[in-house]
Amino acid sequence: MSRRSWVRPLIAMGLVAVTAVVSACGTSGPGETSGGALKIWALEDPVLNKIEQKSIDSFKAGGGDASLETFGNDPYKQRLRVAIGSPQAPDLFFNWGGGNLKEYVDAGKVADLTSVLDENKAAKEKFIPSVLDGAKLDGKNYGVPMRGMQPVLLFFNKKVFTEAGAQPPKTWDELLTLVDTFKAKGITPIALAGTQAWTELMWAEYVLDRFAGHEVFKTIRDKGPEGWKDPAVVGAMTKLKELIDRGGFGNAFASVGYDAGGASTILAQGKAAMHLMGSWEYTNQLDQSPDFVKNGDLGWIEFPSIPGGKGDPSNLVGNVSNFYSATADSKNLDAAKKFVTTTLHEDSYIEALIEAGDVPPVVGAEEKLKKSAHPDYASDIYKMVLDSKNFQLSWDQDLPADKATFMLTQLQEFFLGTVSPQQFVDAVAAR
Amino acid sequence: MSSQRPSAWYAVPAFAFFALFAALPMVLVIYLSFTAWDGLGTPQLNGGENWSRLLDDSEARASVWRTLLLMVMSWLVQTPIALLVGVWAAGKQRSRAVLSSIFFLPLLLSTAAIALLWQALLEPNFGAFVGGPLFLGDPDIALYTVVLVISWQFIPFHTLLYQGAARAVPPSLYEAATLDGATRVGKFLHITLPQLRYTIVTSSVLMLVGSLTTFDTVLILTNGGPGTATRILPLHMYITGFSGFEMGYASAIAVVLVVLGTALSIAVMRWSGFRSMSSQQEGS
Amino acid sequence: MKSRPNWPAGLFALAWLAFILGPLIYLVTVSLRTRSEYLGKSAWAVPDALTLDNYVTVLTGGFGQYLLNNVIVTVATVGIVVLIAVPAAYAVVRNTGPFVQRGFTLILMGLAIPAQATIIPVYLMITRMQLYDTLTAIILPTAAFALPVAMLVLTNSLRDVPRELYEAQSIDGAGPLRVLVSLVLPLARPAIMTVVVYTSLNAWNGFLFPLVLTQSESSRVLTLGLWDFQGQFGTNVPALLAAVTLSVLPIFAVYLIGRRFLLSGLTAGFGK
Repeated sequence: MSRRSWVRPLIAMGLVAVTAVVSACGTSGPGETSGGALKIWALEDPVLNKIEQKSIDSFKAGGGDASLETFGNDPYKQRLRVAIGSPQAPDLFFNWGGGNLKEYVDAGKVADLTSVLDENKAAKEKFIPSVLDGAKLDGKNYGVPMRGMQPVLLFFNKKVFTEAGAQPPKTWDELLTLVDTFKAKGITPIALAGTQAWTELMWAEYVLDRFAGHEVFKTIRDKGPEGWKDPAVVGAMTKLKELIDRGGFGNAFASVGYDAGGASTILAQGKAAMHLMGSWEYTNQLDQSPDFVKNGDLGWIEFPSIPGGKGDPSNLVGNVSNFYSATADSKNLDAAKKFVTTTLHEDSYIEALIEAGDVPPVVGAEEKLKKSAHPDYASDIYKMVLDSKNFQLSWDQDLPADKATFMLTQLQEFFLGTVSPQQFVDAVAAR
Repeated sequence: MSSQRPSAWYAVPAFAFFALFAALPMVLVIYLSFTAWDGLGTPQLNGGENWSRLLDDSEARASVWRTLLLMVMSWLVQTPIALLVGVWAAGKQRSRAVLSSIFFLPLLLSTAAIALLWQALLEPNFGAFVGGPLFLGDPDIALYTVVLVISWQFIPFHTLLYQGAARAVPPSLYEAATLDGATRVGKFLHITLPQLRYTIVTSSVLMLVGSLTTFDTVLILTNGGPGTATRILPLHMYITGFSGFEMGYASAIAVVLVVLGTALSIAVMRWSGFRSMSSQQEGS
Repeated sequence: MKSRPNWPAGLFALAWLAFILGPLIYLVTVSLRTRSEYLGKSAWAVPDALTLDNYVTVLTGGFGQYLLNNVIVTVATVGIVVLIAVPAAYAVVRNTGPFVQRGFTLILMGLAIPAQATIIPVYLMITRMQLYDTLTAIILPTAAFALPVAMLVLTNSLRDVPRELYEAQSIDGAGPLRVLVSLVLPLARPAIMTVVVYTSLNAWNGFLFPLVLTQSESSRVLTLGLWDFQGQFGTNVPALLAAVTLSVLPIFAVYLIGRRFLLSGLTAGFGK
């Protein structure tokens, strides 16, 4: 390379760079973001995203314009928060309702959908009222259900149970006995994806509910961290600690991830016997280990009751549903409103959800569910939700982000045994 | 003569750019540390609330401690290995040249790629060490596992530094020592090490700065877990800011990082003599 | 003089070789396995069959776009840094005025400021500047944080230029601009190489700025894309590792073509 020959390219490169930056500044100016396609954000899901894309396609066919973007679970929550504070917010965003949505509503970022739902009776009356209420705050609707109902269930590998001559646990004591049974056979009793603390949270949610009833958490949510000091919380966490110390989750859970599929796969392979997970686990297993589901080896039951506990055994925790909410500042607000009232209750959309193994939150779905590809599972979920006395939204979605983040960290420490039940309570109550 | 010298305008674009996108944020972060901001609205001044909270925050203190531990451990592991491998690779033998070109391969991987690779490698159910130690899942060794991964990533770079420096040692020094009957170890201790002392300083400083700013490796590998076993200071700030959305408090943690970084910067200038070079120049 | 072989050192080098090479071999071999082989068999077992399917999965999954974004970010960052740092370094070495010297000191202070310490204000600024979710949002702070090292390397190299050379040019009647082009640029060539290599590796590998400042697929860079693949592929770890392997190939190509250029560029500035 001669001395001169490299100077020019470098200068040229610099000029190109500056031009690129300047022109990029120009195109992203505020004037040009109005109108255009409806930007829709949703949680990544290989199966459901296709259906959501189809609803967008049909919206497009009807003259609208929209595009879907998806993100993995943890990045989604972060990016949504960051984006909603920015001018590049999506027009419609997937959320979990409850306290999680409340923060955005309180900040004035979410559009009130009450009137548009009232105008479109066909849409409004299609949804199960209690589910629609999941995104209702101060009497106003801020979201429309867009995915199935997702209670958390105890999944189990039937084959492993049969080989061990065991029955799925109906009570907490049976669960503890099963831990010993499977441990003796060298099988991890319960799969747990401990790198993601929300998987551990499901255990805390159910144990507290069964042990002390669903009101305890309601107090925590409504009256603040002092609510953690209810002695029932320490009692429930002590029960949970028994299970952990007994080796219920094996010893490797702290580096197993759910998004990476580790926990689901060991259940499917029979290396683990049980797995407490949201109902999406079914579609997930169908996608990742189809033979396991098709052979009928995937079983599910409601969370075991705790003898002497105050919680109703029909109570559920999980995601009541997922919702689309519209951003208040959206320049496409009318299109967004049109989208949520026209596409989400359409038969084709509902049927596609059912076909994918989801259980849509619509009234009178029994017959459709019976004719679905997974009639037993879908009908069970549907019945469980309708019969449940209470359906508690996951705590991390129902608490403000700062409290939820802190609680999840403390919970991970608790599962590792570095924090005792009392220390856990003291820590979260002090926030 | 001075009219022939470049005017200050030559430096203005760089200074302005740095001021806007690096210096201004440093000032802003101090301002933000006195505000409450949840990422949605606009920051509101809240006095010294974040700072008094920081003083009581045992998690912040623990993460400073972990950061320091990570810096020290990384240095202790990387320096001797990089030094030995670098000096070995400086030899003229063909086998050494071939091997050292393999030694440098990790330099080609991005941090994200390295973290994902090691995560898969150490996965307890499907990785390469099924049934072995839990590595990232064991709170007692997770931080050391992070040091291991960082070492895999960065030792090649430091090896390169030492290799270059070792090749620049005048051969006459070794020849004279050989005539005096010095052993191999003796030559290493009395010739190589003293000759490499500036490289050791440079490499150490780069290592310390590097491990203070380690972020993406840990985020991807463990996200600070299990529990908080690997939650180092930058990660504590990130989780507080972008997961708990306490941006004001996270800014206070960030200021602590800036202070640590600045202290290290000043140390860089003192030890490595960069500042003295420029003051010589001022006299000219 | 023929030295006797150094056995302990040779053994140590071989052990080191295994440590370096092991993970890389794992990377490539797993990326060639099928998903069921990966899940069903030990990593040490010899696979029944190898497959390139994982690479197809990755290449049809947005990889090209991420790669392109990465190239744009890297080229633009390097371009900006070289364009503004070289004249500035020239000014620092030849202009003894207080403005330039104090400014230089300030930039050196930034040498070890962790970029993540400023991520919250940078995020605030970028959103206020309406740049959120653009590649520009990544380029600007990445370039700014590359300046301290670039300036350091360049000034160190220009200080080695004998004063007489500058003065001879000036006597010939050359203005500062001509000195910059005909003297400084050629003499600073090795240092500029270092800056180019160092800055481009930093920009290429950047993670935090893209993580916080962009969100959509169209502005996603490769490092972030790799991380997102993890959620997208689930248990398809072979596909994830195929993506990791593919992400290494561009730099590997540079390494094969210009190994000396890459390696000396990395260290030249620190070598003294």
